[in-house]
Amino acid sequence: MRVYDVMVRDVTAVTQEDSVENVVRIMATQFLSGVPVVTEDMRVIGFVSESDIIRAAIPGYFSLLQSTTFIPDMSQFLKMAAKLRDKPVREIMTHPPLVVNENASLAHVADLMIKHNVKILPVVDEHGRLLGVITRTNIVRAAMEGYL
Amino acid sequence: MKVITVTLNPALDREFIIEGFAVNAYHRIKTQDHMVMNPGGKGINVSMALAKLGVSSIAIGIIGGYTGRVLLTELNKTSPLISTSFVHIEEETRENIVIVDPVNHTMTSINSPGPRVDKKAVELLLKRYEIYLSRAEAVVLSGSLPQGLTGEIYGKMAKMAREKGRMVFFDMIDEYLTEALEICVPDVVKPDVRGSYTILQQRLESLEDYVEAAANLVKRGCKLVVVSYEIKNDVVATQDGVWLISTEEKVEPENILGAGDAYVAAMVYKRLTDRNTSMLETAKFGYAAALAKTKKLTKEMPEYDEIGEALNSCKLERLR
Repeated sequence: MRVYDVMVRDVTAVTQEDSVENVVRIMATQFLSGVPVVTEDMRVIGFVSESDIIRAAIPGYFSLLQSTTFIPDMSQFLKMAAKLRDKPVREIMTHPPLVVNENASLAHVADLMIKHNVKILPVVDEHGRLLGVITRTNIVRAAMEGYL
Repeated sequence: MKVITVTLNPALDREFIIEGFAVNAYHRIKTQDHMVMNPGGKGINVSMALAKLGVSSIAIGIIGGYTGRVLLTELNKTSPLISTSFVHIEEETRENIVIVDPVNHTMTSINSPGPRVDKKAVELLLKRYEIYLSRAEAVVLSGSLPQGLTGEIYGKMAKMAREKGRMVFFDMIDEYLTEALEICVPDVVKPDVRGSYTILQQRLESLEDYVEAAANLVKRGCKLVVVSYEIKNDVVATQDGVWLISTEEKVEPENILGAGDAYVAAMVYKRLTDRNTSMLETAKFGYAAALAKTKKLTKEMPEYDEIGEALNSCKLERLR
């Protein structure tokens, strides 16, 4: 089975000049864990995920602490999160993005997702233009039906 | 994606087929296939009809709440030729209810007004629209507007499309059409005269009123104008004249749901696939699609062959 057979043909995307606030709004209202970043002709040039946003709002060493109970002052986090709101997406997006072609096999996509620990990937055509997305659930569902 | 369809006030359509429907009575629906739930709103319907004709489109607009998510899930299942990108808001997308009675030949519709849309949602939509315009050949702007929006939005979107050299199709009520035309004139317009029976605020009563109104829109710059006249006839105006398209076939009023959208989709198809075809032939193909749709009880869009068959029963009469 190919990506084409199970992908979600939703081409919701942002440009690299969009604000992080807009991205968070899209993610919150559409229950997405990430959004593709595209050029004016819809070529995917980046991807912004929950992890990208959290990483940008929290100092790097916090991830080593494993627990928020070690954070002495939440106000620093809140200040950084507030500053992030108006920043353009290009400052925090993953670039170049990980993308898959619509003709790729599901086994290949599953392998990519496991290796890079991602939940969602943009699907593109032969020119790198956005066609939709594929999620872990799409693949698990196909696997359960014996189609991987 | 060849076409962008814009549905600013989509609806989750619920169709119930009830034989002998009456108000103030208890009805039990016979079987599951007598109750159909599908994504609706004029633009979405056009996308579904285009998919039947093998044309890819992107359906965009504004949806909200739980109903909006159900609508989107259903739409994403419809066809691989339909892509989507809707701005999500909190207020619920509306539900439209249609009760079809094949015994008494009636169709009872209950349409809700839809949610209130804020400025931010519109801004987000316009940004996306601008991106998608880079890849589309035509844009369909049709249907009702949610609370908080006026026909100005259609004018703005048409202008953006025309500036990029895209074909623009309008299918909307006179209130929006009047406002939109102040900003931009589309290539093809099919005014929705149901209820108001006005075009550019001029009352339509006689056939001559319809002819005059259609000809006036051509004078304003439209290349093709189609106005529905007494259910199964259409007044068609182009730069070459005005015609009446009709049929001798019987059209059941309970089957007309979605016929106007099949009409628009077929005109888009014709313009995209055969640039040399005349505007009159484009309208005739649209009429045949609408006629083919009326052979189906539910909102199922016609196949190409069914349209071809219906073309044989279309009659053309020159009026001007």
